[in-house]
Amino acid sequence: MSIDVKKPKPILQLVGVRKTFGDFVAVDRIDLDVRQGEFLTIVGPSGSGKTTLLRMLAGMDVPSEGNITLHGELINDVPPNKRPTCLVFQSLALFPHKTVGDNIEFPLKVRGVDKETRKARALELMRVVRLPADYHGKNVMKCSGGERQRVALARALAYDPEVLFFDEPLSAIDYKLKKILEKELKDLHRETGKTFIYITHSLEEAMVMSDRIGVMRAGKIVQVGTPEEIYATPADRFVSEFVGEVNVIEVAKSAAGTWQGVDLPGTYTIRPPKDEDAARAFVVVRPEFMRLLDEGETADNCLEGTVYNEYSLGSRLQYQVHVGAKVMLVEVPRGRLANAARDARVRLGFDARDAIVVGS
Amino acid sequence: MDINARRTRAFVTLWTILVLVAIYLPIVCGALASLSKGRYFGFPVREYSMEWWGKTVDSIEIGMLTRTSFAVAITVTLLSVVIAFFGALAFARYDWKGRRLFQKIVLLPIFFPQPVLGLALLLWFSALGIQTSWLTAVFAHLVWIVPVVTLVISIQVYGFDPTLEEAAYDLGCSRWQVFREVTLPLLWPGVWSGMLFAFLLSWGNFPLSLYTAGADSTIPKWLYAKMVAGYTPMVPALGTMSTLGAALALGLGGIVLYLYRRRQAQ
Repeated sequence: MSIDVKKPKPILQLVGVRKTFGDFVAVDRIDLDVRQGEFLTIVGPSGSGKTTLLRMLAGMDVPSEGNITLHGELINDVPPNKRPTCLVFQSLALFPHKTVGDNIEFPLKVRGVDKETRKARALELMRVVRLPADYHGKNVMKCSGGERQRVALARALAYDPEVLFFDEPLSAIDYKLKKILEKELKDLHRETGKTFIYITHSLEEAMVMSDRIGVMRAGKIVQVGTPEEIYATPADRFVSEFVGEVNVIEVAKSAAGTWQGVDLPGTYTIRPPKDEDAARAFVVVRPEFMRLLDEGETADNCLEGTVYNEYSLGSRLQYQVHVGAKVMLVEVPRGRLANAARDARVRLGFDARDAIVVGS
Repeated sequence: MDINARRTRAFVTLWTILVLVAIYLPIVCGALASLSKGRYFGFPVREYSMEWWGKTVDSIEIGMLTRTSFAVAITVTLLSVVIAFFGALAFARYDWKGRRLFQKIVLLPIFFPQPVLGLALLLWFSALGIQTSWLTAVFAHLVWIVPVVTLVISIQVYGFDPTLEEAAYDLGCSRWQVFREVTLPLLWPGVWSGMLFAFLLSWGNFPLSLYTAGADSTIPKWLYAKMVAGYTPMVPALGTMSTLGAALALGLGGIVLYLYRRRQAQ
């Protein structure tokens, strides 16, 4: 059996898409190809323009500049009701005056599908999203948060869109249920084979579900890549910090031509950044790659500091270590003996292969 | 329960009774007066009879003015609810330049003294050469009632989530389908309350009708005219009937609203 490695063709294409509200630039010249059938997540802090981007894709906002094409056809001005796309809102926007069944059947009713076909399809979709069949006549406002998510999902699927958009629909759900729904959504993506575009401010959420992640900041897409790429090779400090808690060490070229930590005395063997002329750079080290060194043990880069506090993170223990005026975070798996009581002097180390050097 | 709480409760009960008596006793007295056999307005009633109620129902004149009152109230209800519905959307749903000014101006007529408003309108009607009749009274009622109904419907609009319209539009609705399937059903309780307000305020309105109805008479206008000259016990009889009619409309309206809300809550 041979594996088809042909690159999937883009279903949605954005070229130089820009959106301004008065003087405010919400989305700033974005180029993006969305592949057929992929699960793409746009992640960014609030105010980064991700919702505006999604609203333009759904047809609720019109770009100020640039082109959005679907299957190669320009759709900038096509209204939402004429697009084969559907948006699951942050608030879900379920119709409170309709039952679960009527909510799901809504897009079919609008299209003039007869009652029996509608109901059959609704029940089928309720199975897909794991809602019990007797919920068909239930008041949608009496459903729990998780059930409402499923109703919203079923309603969007009833529209039978080619592309589904999600505007942080899981943001108001408690942690445990969120974890379940994230996985279900990814399973649903597989079952339906449709293109999903999801936006969230939580990279953790994005990591679980996505085939690809685009990180947005101040109206621009800073980096697009697989979850592994985003995690292992962040494009810059912003992306690396967005992934989670990281140690950022500013380094500068010394007179001798070696790279040293700024205000962080230690022994360094930092590889220079790609830009040969640069005199300064940042080294990003994840807490799990920062080690507490035993007596006599060495690493490519070594620092010395004082343990300030210890935090339990479930499967791991995190230490806050003060090195000079800076704070470093170190994580060790629980159960591994770490001789690091409060106020103990410790040596920290990280290897060159675990350090990510970014220019800015 | 300590003595203080008991005292507070006793006071609250007493106060409630006093207020209820002050509000409803006069209406009851009017009703009792209409059941008097005597020719003159007096209290307490010496001898009870349904005689004047019968005469009121049979009166051709009263039949005519009841029809006029009905025509005015129904026309005002229908027109004001249509105008106020879209006014309320502008008031509370859409954000547009000048909205705050609109919000203030549109509510202003509620605070005009009605006799002054009636007089002003009458002056305009005669300046423009418009013959006053129940139709001009409808116009005058609208000037005062549309703002009230706009406010009533706006309260419902404020609780309305505009994303629901966007969602319906996204799910393939035309603008008209969005309105019919989402906007109107969700705003319906407000529209219904607004209709009740419009009907009852028009039905009971005296000052505007006095100035602007011309030769046409409405129930409040007739009641006043008969009190000034030519009193008959038909005055309290018709007054009571009119009150009961209003109460009936309110009761029916309330029941419809209750059933609608309950059906939604299922």
